[in-house]
Amino acid sequence: MVDFELKRDRITIRLKGKKWEWIIEPRYWRNSILWVTLLLIFPAAAYFISPGLINTMISANLLAAIAMPMALMTLGTGRVNFGPNFFVGVGGYTAALLSIAYGWSPLATLPFAIIVTLFTAILYSPLVIVARGLYYVLLSLLLPFVFFEVTIIYTDIFKGDTGLFGIKPLLDLGNARINFLVIAYISIVIMVLFLWIINKVVKSRYGLIMAAINDDEEVAHGIGVNINKVKIISFVFSAGMIGVAGWFYAHYFSSFAGQTYLTFTFMLKIFLAMMIGGRTTIFGCVVGGYFVAFLEMILIRTMGPIQAVVFPVILIILLFALPEGLFGIYRKRRYREYFPTIHVRR
Amino acid sequence: MSELLKVNNMTKTFGGIVAVNNLSFEIHEGETVGFIGPNGAGKSTVVNVLSGYLNADSGQVEMNGVNITNMKPYQRAHMGLARTYQIPRPFPELTALMGVATSALCGKKRINQSFEDALVNATHYLEFVGLFSKRNILARDLTFYELRMLELARALATTPKLLFIDEVMAGLNPGEASNAIRLIARAKEQFGITIFWIEHVMAVLMEAADRIIAINHGEKLSEGTPDEVVNNEQVIEAYLGRGWKTYA
Repeated sequence: MVDFELKRDRITIRLKGKKWEWIIEPRYWRNSILWVTLLLIFPAAAYFISPGLINTMISANLLAAIAMPMALMTLGTGRVNFGPNFFVGVGGYTAALLSIAYGWSPLATLPFAIIVTLFTAILYSPLVIVARGLYYVLLSLLLPFVFFEVTIIYTDIFKGDTGLFGIKPLLDLGNARINFLVIAYISIVIMVLFLWIINKVVKSRYGLIMAAINDDEEVAHGIGVNINKVKIISFVFSAGMIGVAGWFYAHYFSSFAGQTYLTFTFMLKIFLAMMIGGRTTIFGCVVGGYFVAFLEMILIRTMGPIQAVVFPVILIILLFALPEGLFGIYRKRRYREYFPTIHVRR
Repeated sequence: MSELLKVNNMTKTFGGIVAVNNLSFEIHEGETVGFIGPNGAGKSTVVNVLSGYLNADSGQVEMNGVNITNMKPYQRAHMGLARTYQIPRPFPELTALMGVATSALCGKKRINQSFEDALVNATHYLEFVGLFSKRNILARDLTFYELRMLELARALATTPKLLFIDEVMAGLNPGEASNAIRLIARAKEQFGITIFWIEHVMAVLMEAADRIIAINHGEKLSEGTPDEVVNNEQVIEAYLGRGWKTYA
């Protein structure tokens, strides 16, 4: 009936005198409808094949949803923030504490999680102007750890040693498997929404201005860019987006612990999702997020306890083997695309 | 000719070193002012202070009657000040077109300018400096001469009133240098800008400049028409050296 034919460069599908052709050529793969459809089909397929995959997919989506704003932040501030998980912690703890204390539903805690994260980011943002290079790296790296210490010191509020429990779950439809499926779709919506917003920003004039700041701050200042404004806005804006991911984590697991999100391991995962995907190409962040989450899942299933050592080693080897990232293999060098690669500054 | 830029008693020190000492001068609209002095005389410091990267310790800078002493570089760019750098500083990861488009977007405020308008503007400036065919090449892959021209295009795209040129000739071969000089002359004519030109090659300034200011140790040695300045005893002593004409 349906006739598939693979010619040199195209797949031809024939059905009752109708003919469809699909040219195998990477540049035709840049089709948002295609990829979003695949994303939407995946959880439904996994639901019947292996429900465990849905869980991996949710974490992949969230890694991507943190890595993308992180890439935007890196671009807009011209500095690499080594502590994006700080904002995950702020958003998550806000949602968790509010939900436990007042019994608020996820929808009620979401605006507060975003507002508190934005406010924290505003307080923290002068660092973007004052510190640069290694000092910025160190200070931003320290902040999640300081926050972690705070959760342990004020353990009666934050429950730093055991973690917070009893947060209202994101969804309660009665059936756990259907719950998972719907949550997977919510995570996809968040991820695709972030992707769409950030892509719009980056392709607009503001993306170009950010790229200029990323390349040479002083020169950008000299040609009329109000660099402090742009840096602070992009910092706070991306931080708010990262906070949403924290909110999701808190309600998804119904528990939130600094041990999981404010430590180096989680930071490493975010960072590698960003770098392995393709050096801050935002589409690369999605690829990277999926790669990191699925690699971790495979390693946990096959290697058991030793995976904690093997996982970072594999990722670090990949960083050296693929300096341009997974996305870079396909992208090669395209001069017309001005979205820059990042440099870790002196 | 009205006064465009007025510098009053500018002083700048780095620790114990006095880089600029009580310097005053004016730049009038439409003229080309040469700025000369031996190495370490404070020429680049003056440009850095005027473009806002450094704050003067004392003194005042006025542009069109507006006090811009405490303005930040981007505000000065909006007022119509632009500069090029001694060592080209392009945006290495952006294409030539996008680099210029950034300054067309951010330079002097243009009402209702869309991103596409800025791209068209940028294309025009790139064509003006002769880089149209290189518009889609990353700036890091351009040659030195092309980088210089890109700098010039980027400075022009902010639609400046006053352009600081910091040693455009350094590192260019004679053919490229004469191209650059012609371009600057054309830019002055077409865009109606005023030029403040730091240069070591005296022959260029002798031809192009209407007025030359010579400084040494941050103090003004002499000011006047090129002929007056090069015949000034102090300038010859400090900078040009006797018999400079045989080498110029």
